[in-house]
Amino acid sequence: MAEIKLKLKKPLVFPLEAESITPDNFAGKSNDEIKKLVAYSGNEESTLGQFFNVSGKSGEKDELKIIIDGDISNVKRIGEKMTAGEIIINSDVGMHVGNEMSGGKITVNGNADDWAGAMMKGGELEINGDAGNYVGAAYRGYWKGMKNGIIKVKGKVGVESMLWADGSVPAKRFPTLICGSAGSFLGIHNNGGTIIVEGDIDRCAGADQIKGMIVVKGTAPKILPSFKKIGEVKEIELLNGEKITGKFIEYAGDHSVKKNHSVVDKKTGELNKGVNGRLYIAA
Amino acid sequence: MAIKKIKTLYDVICPFCGTLCDDVEVDIAENKVVEVRNACQIGTKKFFSSNPSEHRYETPMIRKKGKLEPASWEEAIDKAADILTKAKRPLLYGFSSTECEAQSKGVELAEMLGGILDNTASVCHGPSLLAKQDVGQPGSTLGEFKNRADLVIFWGSNPVHAHPRHLGRYSEFVRGYFRKDGRNDRTIVVVDPRNTHTAQIADLYIQVKPNEDYELLNAIRALLRGVELDVEEVSGVPMDQIKELVNTLKTCNFGVIFFGMGLTQSLSHHRNIDAAICLTRELNDHTKFLITPMRGHYNVAGANQVFSWNTGYAYSIDFSKGYPRYNPGEFSAVEVLIKNQIDASLIVASDPASNFPAASARNLFKYPLIVIDPHETPTSANADIVLPAAIAGIEAEGTAYRMDNVPLRLRKVKDAPGESISDKEILEKLIEKVKEKRGE
Ligand code: SF4
Repeated sequence: MAEIKLKLKKPLVFPLEAESITPDNFAGKSNDEIKKLVAYSGNEESTLGQFFNVSGKSGEKDELKIIIDGDISNVKRIGEKMTAGEIIINSDVGMHVGNEMSGGKITVNGNADDWAGAMMKGGELEINGDAGNYVGAAYRGYWKGMKNGIIKVKGKVGVESMLWADGSVPAKRFPTLICGSAGSFLGIHNNGGTIIVEGDIDRCAGADQIKGMIVVKGTAPKILPSFKKIGEVKEIELLNGEKITGKFIEYAGDHSVKKNHSVVDKKTGELNKGVNGRLYIAA
Repeated sequence: MAIKKIKTLYDVICPFCGTLCDDVEVDIAENKVVEVRNACQIGTKKFFSSNPSEHRYETPMIRKKGKLEPASWEEAIDKAADILTKAKRPLLYGFSSTECEAQSKGVELAEMLGGILDNTASVCHGPSLLAKQDVGQPGSTLGEFKNRADLVIFWGSNPVHAHPRHLGRYSEFVRGYFRKDGRNDRTIVVVDPRNTHTAQIADLYIQVKPNEDYELLNAIRALLRGVELDVEEVSGVPMDQIKELVNTLKTCNFGVIFFGMGLTQSLSHHRNIDAAICLTRELNDHTKFLITPMRGHYNVAGANQVFSWNTGYAYSIDFSKGYPRYNPGEFSAVEVLIKNQIDASLIVASDPASNFPAASARNLFKYPLIVIDPHETPTSANADIVLPAAIAGIEAEGTAYRMDNVPLRLRKVKDAPGESISDKEILEKLIEKVKEKRGE
């Protein structure tokens, strides 16, 4: 596998916007060409070479691995729109890591700032620390967020993660987040996303959820009043067919949303819970 | 004793709160405000604040050896332009208490500098704008509410104190075309954790637990759809009372929700508004319902309008790449200050030092700070350069947008003291100087 190493030269004063760091952009380029790729600091257009030492040898994008060292907690947009290859970040990383990526893999050996994996379309983003707010979320004003791919966060994700996630079983798109614990409004406006939380969540999970699944193996402080308890289950079948075993209480919701399948029958006044979003909390 | 000649100006617009009352009468004698009629107490105070006082700047000031000293316009503008051209990440903030033409110049300057541009919406009704971008907003002008509304809900807002004449002009006591009997033709509901003075004159007061508005809105929406809930109370409100409220909402002829910072700045922020807007939308299946934010600063709505038509975004804008990008939380003033990501700032008609978290105010003072303001404020007292401004709407003309986005023409009722000039002229001078320094 071809490998390019980037090492930060000196601490950053302003955030550095480095959406040029992707296997797609580095593929087939000499190290000097990589150094000339654009990066932005403050109101100045600059180059990657100004900020990073570049070593190793590039290759085809599918084969290419980019390894980044040094404190890049203030470098934004690494892996933006990448389609293939691999990025390994041995540091905390700035906002928007892996946003809109559609293939390949990013590993962050540290924490990630807000908007990690925002509007992802595919591929894998693994964060071995905590992540900020809006993990896998839709950007402001978008009604369709993460479409496919998987985000794994060892630690905690911040508020409003997986906002407007947009999955589809017929189209075999399963946007997925697996995380250690989560802040409030997890999966708000969820429309087909799958979220698995190994630990605890905060308030208002699944608010305005139309469809999709939130599985919580720990505890939830309080569930929104519009969620209806269905019963206890021993096994959960996820949207992609995979199964999770364990004792869970199953809730359907959010029944406050007009645009969902939780139809109230006009004659019987019964609520059709069958095709609605789901929230499972460990029993 | 010489008799002072008094000049009376009619139909003056009050440049204080978003109600933008347009019926104020001001008496001027020897270029001083001597009497104000029709305005409420806060509005009246603002007119009187334009009179000479030790808090008013009358010449440009530059910090020399740690002290602000009077200076010439030429020197002050030159120094200010110097700071701004050298900055790599300047912040331009404020703008909500000045007029639209000046705001527009602010956008022009921010774009030239490749800076960060933000207005006070980012700490008041920014969440409302975020929600609006997510789910839309059914609203209308205040005249509609006055003439038609028979159900008025104040949620997390306290107009008796924050917008004193709102009740008399638009929402509670006023007689409307279809509401001939004024207050008696309207049902007033207040939802608030505190039993405010507005709550005390309401027909129904719902005391919601602090920070739990979202859950209450959520329950109301579900009940409205006919879903029976498994709980007995939500956010401290018993189910019976919620059901009564839902019934009131459904059976009115024309309802409106006026929401304030009790919703936008409590725990769930923009999601409160998101849910309130969705509720409003869903209520239109049963009756006519609209929702409107109670904007605070008299022209914060204008700042959002002007920024939007110039850049596409209402606040929290970054020009560092030469084109506008928008992301509150990334480019908002509080955020870039807390994260220490700026190297100079220009504050226009605002006092962030008194309103921002201490950590961001500290970082604001770390770097060169230019302030355009008529008065001494905690921000200007720590500035390196102060540029004295005429008070827009009292000493300078311009346009302002009322809380319902109706533009009104502000009047000039007296001259500005000393060497003060309008915000717009100051910003124009800065733009010229920056161009000159760059050899454009
Ligand atoms: S209600 Fe607002 S606009 Fe009207 S007079 Fe009072 S402060 Fe001025």
